[in-house]
Amino acid sequence: MEMKSNAAKGKKLHSKNAAMIASYGGLIFCIVLFTIVTPLKGESIWSPTKLATLMSDVIVTALMSVGAVFIYALGNLDISIGKQIGLYAAVMVTVGNLTGSLIPGILLCIALSMVIAVINGASGPLLNIIPIIPSVVVMQVLSGIITVIFATLGTRSITLKTIDYSIFKSPVLMLVVLVIEVAVAVFLFNYTAIGKQARMLGANKVSASQSGVSTVKVRVLCYIIAGICFVVAAIFQMGYTGSASDSTGTGFEMNIMVALILGGMPISGGMRSRISAAVVGAFTFSLLDVGLPMVGLPTRMTFIVKAIVFLVVVLITSRSKKSNVLPK
Amino acid sequence: MKEAVLEIKHMHKTFGPTIALKDVDITLRHGEICGLIGENGSGKSTIMSIASGRQSADSGEMIYMGEGWNPATMLQAQNAGISMILQEANTIPGVTVAQNIFAGREKEFSKFGIVNMKSMCVAAEHLLKKFGVEHIKAGDLIDHYTFEDRKLIEIVRCVTDETQILVVDETTTALSLDGREILYKLIHKMAEEENKTVVFVSHDMDEILEHCSVLTVLRDGEIVGELSREEMDAPDAVKRIRYLMVGREIGEKYYREDYDVSHRDEVALELKNLTFGNIKNFSLTLHKGEVIGFGGLSGCGMHEIGRAAYGLEKLDAGEVICGGHKVKTPVQAIKQGIGYISKNRDLEALVLDASIEENIVLPSLPSLQKGIAILPKDEHELANREIDALRIKCHSGKQLVNTLSGGNKQKVSFAKWYAKGSDVIIMDCPTRGVDIGVKQSMYMLIEQMKKEGKAILMISEELSELVGMADKILIMKNFEVTKEFMRSPDLKQTDIIEYMI
Repeated sequence: MEMKSNAAKGKKLHSKNAAMIASYGGLIFCIVLFTIVTPLKGESIWSPTKLATLMSDVIVTALMSVGAVFIYALGNLDISIGKQIGLYAAVMVTVGNLTGSLIPGILLCIALSMVIAVINGASGPLLNIIPIIPSVVVMQVLSGIITVIFATLGTRSITLKTIDYSIFKSPVLMLVVLVIEVAVAVFLFNYTAIGKQARMLGANKVSASQSGVSTVKVRVLCYIIAGICFVVAAIFQMGYTGSASDSTGTGFEMNIMVALILGGMPISGGMRSRISAAVVGAFTFSLLDVGLPMVGLPTRMTFIVKAIVFLVVVLITSRSKKSNVLPK
Repeated sequence: MKEAVLEIKHMHKTFGPTIALKDVDITLRHGEICGLIGENGSGKSTIMSIASGRQSADSGEMIYMGEGWNPATMLQAQNAGISMILQEANTIPGVTVAQNIFAGREKEFSKFGIVNMKSMCVAAEHLLKKFGVEHIKAGDLIDHYTFEDRKLIEIVRCVTDETQILVVDETTTALSLDGREILYKLIHKMAEEENKTVVFVSHDMDEILEHCSVLTVLRDGEIVGELSREEMDAPDAVKRIRYLMVGREIGEKYYREDYDVSHRDEVALELKNLTFGNIKNFSLTLHKGEVIGFGGLSGCGMHEIGRAAYGLEKLDAGEVICGGHKVKTPVQAIKQGIGYISKNRDLEALVLDASIEENIVLPSLPSLQKGIAILPKDEHELANREIDALRIKCHSGKQLVNTLSGGNKQKVSFAKWYAKGSDVIIMDCPTRGVDIGVKQSMYMLIEQMKKEGKAILMISEELSELVGMADKILIMKNFEVTKEFMRSPDLKQTDIIEYMI
């Protein structure tokens, strides 16, 4: 009897954490695999050049995904993120060329991100529509603005002229900024009212609001936190080449979704949302990006392998959710 | 002795570290109404949910109609003749009544893959009539009906000619007097005329004693007693059953014993000429240290009054005043020291996926802030204090609320407001689906809160607890107060009922 209940306990523990095991497992598997296999091919994934490649591959997605956790925790999806990055990059380059400094552009972008956050965060609950709808509208409006900007400039891409942007190519700076952002996000998400209330809202909107959680306030604050992370991501997106084009950021929202799901984030948000999902997911995919060509896989096959990894993680994650439904 | 229809032998079931059933043996016989009674978490619902395919046992054997029985789904069990009406709502929203009744059986009405809705509706109308619930129309969207009507629709769906065993799991708490009568008539007809078996899972001792032909008492996953009809008729039966359920003398004290209706002079909550929905011009003054009870049938408007007092209803006219401020939203209400315990525990009062601690501290988060940070230590302290004070059965505050039994969940929803230090507590059906042990502690808590000067608005579908606990009882019917009763030793439930119906 005793043994039996222990076995049952073990099983439950396993299924409960299967999502986490699957997502961390994916990352650990990639790390172990590439650590062992890449030296056989004559080049270690841990070489400084490859690590630099890895950082530059992962940085934008990781910075964005960390912010997006605040939106996903609410159970919301935001598909305007890619276009936000596009707009911020364009603004930073344009304002940078006009003023000779990046600071005014960044400040302007933060202001813009707040306006967008208020629209995305508040219109859902206030107008009683599902939150993805305003984000679709915002995405289209931003596409329009970006098109107008580049049409007016008469070009499809713009480059910083006088400002030295080489610092943004530094892997060390990338790492430092990512660590700081993750630390701040973990603090906000786990040790403040906003993060706690956001998860409760995502898990059960009705009981959260009956317990004094202000839907509009918490949502807007979450979108603002996310928006600032997007601006930080846009700096690195723009800074790597010192340029912005009319297609910068296109599809980034999908990269975020993939990274978060891969990291074990429940798409419905709620209590099991974690900041670590963003980091784990983003690094898993970037490791595949950097590692697969090194082990001799043709670049054209990378997408298929990534899709298979994604599928496996999703299957394990969704299975654990079902077995997690406890009887009343 | 009558012939066995279902035999359960050596059944074990665990949920993680919790043992739900320990070596349970039970035999159900034809033509009997078998009562299953026990406190929350005693395993009474678990037994039948295993027999009806909702979950599976860890070990043990079931023999149904002479053969081994191990249903994989509820549908399979239902088709084989074991139907279960659940405690929680179990209808499909957004479709018609007829579609709900024939969910999973659409093939009977389809040709070439197209379902003939008209013939389905006709068949459903016929069934509804047979069960005596003609006021429900098969073609209507199910969402137009109240919780009670939806429960009745579930009964119509569950019970077919093939049904051999009908399990009624705490269903009557959701039903009004009329609805209960329909159900009682049905189960007696099934058992007495059709020689079928009914398993009646309930907390309500009166109901069990009135309708069951045998009674099984469970405690902590074990069968602790079986009573025949004769034993149930014995004068000390209630006392004996309570003792079996709780495992100790719970004492005579249950409701309040004083008849002191005095309260403090300060007004705690004032509803001024509220007009919204079907409610017209409703006013009420609640003082500190006062318990006002609301009684009536479901749909009489009393639940809406509770919601309005908490800022959950949009008012057409009138205002809710607390502490000198208007209350228009729950956030404002909480700021003024109001707490609200919804009738709908699982969907509105609690976040089931969150832990006990996270639920308890949720309303208190703003006051736990140090700067903008909230220290885990402060959260644990607050939650553990309430877990101890209310004796919530759990291994730690980290345990998820969805693993708790109904009574312990309800303790968590009380604990939220106790932790917050609310001065006005609006409780809608505070003891719904809660067993006597927990009920008793809830009543003691309410009495203590009254003594502390807290103001309580207690909305209840159970007249006995209103008579037992409230200083003043307002009876509502058709969205109006029809009668006001003051607390008195002479007040009888029968005096009140006529103003409800």
